[in-house]
Amino acid sequence: MEPKYAVETIGLVKRYPTRARNTGGGGRGHGGVDSFGNIFSVMRRRRGSFIEALRGIDLQIKKGEVFGLLGPNGAGKTTLIKILCTLIIHDEGEAYVHGFDVKKEPAEVIKNLQAVLPESRGFNWRLTGQQNLEFYALLYGIREQEAQERINSLLELVGLRERANDGYQRYSTGMQRKLLLCRALLRDTPTLLFDEPTTGLDPLSASEFRSLVRDKLSREEGKTILISTHNLNEAQEICDRIAILDKGKIIACDTPNNIQYTMLDEKVFSITFTNTLFNADPEEMVNLLEKTAGVYGATPEIDKDGNLSGMSVRISKGMDLSGILSVIMKNGLKIGSINTREPSLEEAFIAITGRKKEEPGRFGHTGRS
Amino acid sequence: MELPLALKQIIAFTKRDFFSWTTYKTTMITQLINILIGVFSWGVAASYVQRPVTEMYDSDYITFLVAGIAISNLIMPIVQGIQRQLNPWTLETIMMTGISMPVFVIGNIVWTYILSVLTFIPYLLIGTSVFGAKLDVNIPTTIVAFAISAAILMGLALISTGVRIVTKSTDPVTWTINVLQNLFAGISFPVVYLDTIFFPGVSTISWFLPQTWVYHLCRLALLTNASLLDPKVLSEFIKGSVFAVILLPVGYKVLQWGVARSKREGTLGWY
Repeated sequence: MEPKYAVETIGLVKRYPTRARNTGGGGRGHGGVDSFGNIFSVMRRRRGSFIEALRGIDLQIKKGEVFGLLGPNGAGKTTLIKILCTLIIHDEGEAYVHGFDVKKEPAEVIKNLQAVLPESRGFNWRLTGQQNLEFYALLYGIREQEAQERINSLLELVGLRERANDGYQRYSTGMQRKLLLCRALLRDTPTLLFDEPTTGLDPLSASEFRSLVRDKLSREEGKTILISTHNLNEAQEICDRIAILDKGKIIACDTPNNIQYTMLDEKVFSITFTNTLFNADPEEMVNLLEKTAGVYGATPEIDKDGNLSGMSVRISKGMDLSGILSVIMKNGLKIGSINTREPSLEEAFIAITGRKKEEPGRFGHTGRS
Repeated sequence: MELPLALKQIIAFTKRDFFSWTTYKTTMITQLINILIGVFSWGVAASYVQRPVTEMYDSDYITFLVAGIAISNLIMPIVQGIQRQLNPWTLETIMMTGISMPVFVIGNIVWTYILSVLTFIPYLLIGTSVFGAKLDVNIPTTIVAFAISAAILMGLALISTGVRIVTKSTDPVTWTINVLQNLFAGISFPVVYLDTIFFPGVSTISWFLPQTWVYHLCRLALLTNASLLDPKVLSEFIKGSVFAVILLPVGYKVLQWGVARSKREGTLGWY
């Protein structure tokens, strides 16, 4: 039976040990096993303290969907992507790619997806871009004639045709990323995973990448795309739906517009002051405003002379504004203009991920959608 | 008196490197052990110089030594070849291609082995033409000896790779292979000579080391014109094959264990 979802996870949990070799070398990129005692302790790895990178992820991504994973650093985005790529084994729960279990059927999973992980380049620096792609085409088992045609068309697509015979070490960061993309597209897999694909790219290259994903890979070829990104505009531009991860949990999952306008029960109230000299600490004003019922947060705006020139206040959508105005006027500030607007996706993201966990119930829904 | 700035800067570099060296405790300890083993092995070899190697191969010393050095040139590159490919960028990407781990390991060894075999020939040519080494080669036996050696070395490479995927920076397997080879595998003296230098029976240790069999089988083929039709020679080759038969599956299991463990711990991309 044809699976309903391209990617599905149910109660996915991943814990990492925090002791033994991880403590020796200062984290990623350093093994840190610096004595035989440590080697043996690594071999016998004690069951001890763990950090939970993922804490029960429920996710369904439909076929042909462009799905964004957003979250602050350490939220668990890369862990989730690597589990789906079969590079990390999860501890609890289930994960499926096109109906294949990532733990039990990794070979089938890999046939159905390709990933672009910026840290996992795997290109030989002494070979040319073309030779590197030919090597991977052989590993993928693509026939020589077909491989040549595909490599040529992909190099053309990403604009590397002219530099195909240059050594990889001569490529700029942007060109290296483009070659990564070519490699990911060598096999015609129905699902593509991208981990922060535009980090380090100039704005034009990033824009070209977004067009490629949206127009060619998604609309034209109907591929399912999972993309993790810090770039909220990027997510808004290309994703059909996004999930916001924070501390290993999905805390919001919906379309970008719904997250921006609906799921977040707040709007932004901007006030500018005129000819006002506010001598007290702006933080005091922030504190006063944040004590007002219906105010979720306030940010002072300081002009180039260091004076308080305005305030941005995040408020409940149905709030009576007179309480805020009263606080401002009592402090001798003169109001120049008042404006309310819907929060941007970035403001929604900051508000959602920065919100205290003891304030539940202010999102439309979480987890599965 | 104030030291010149250039001298102070050189001292700064030296101090930095010394402190850095002391933080690599395994390297520090293994370097010290290597010195001791080196002194012992070369001492034993030196005391053996110019004696006829009648005990095992009915040969002269220079022939024995040339063959030993040529064979040692075959061994370490194979075990080390795979390690050069073991970095996070390569390993994660290669695993994403869906190829099997044995293919990954063998694929990374083949060129190194071909190169080792090619460089093996000049060793022998120079040894015979310049230093008067006298080889008595049996070609079919040499081919079989190389095949068994390759299987033994492949098993060791698999074990070494599996362990290194878990331990990352330090590979105790390769180090142990190196150390034991120097003293016990008989590169520069017949292993039976250890009995007269240390105490009777100590050479027994050598026969439990797979690399001793690599040297032994290759020397039988290169120095004694040994035929596999000779039951005594065949018996030696069967004993050597046992190591290959054991090491290959054990190596595969160790490699599987290393990869699975690294995936569970999320450290496959680490080095």
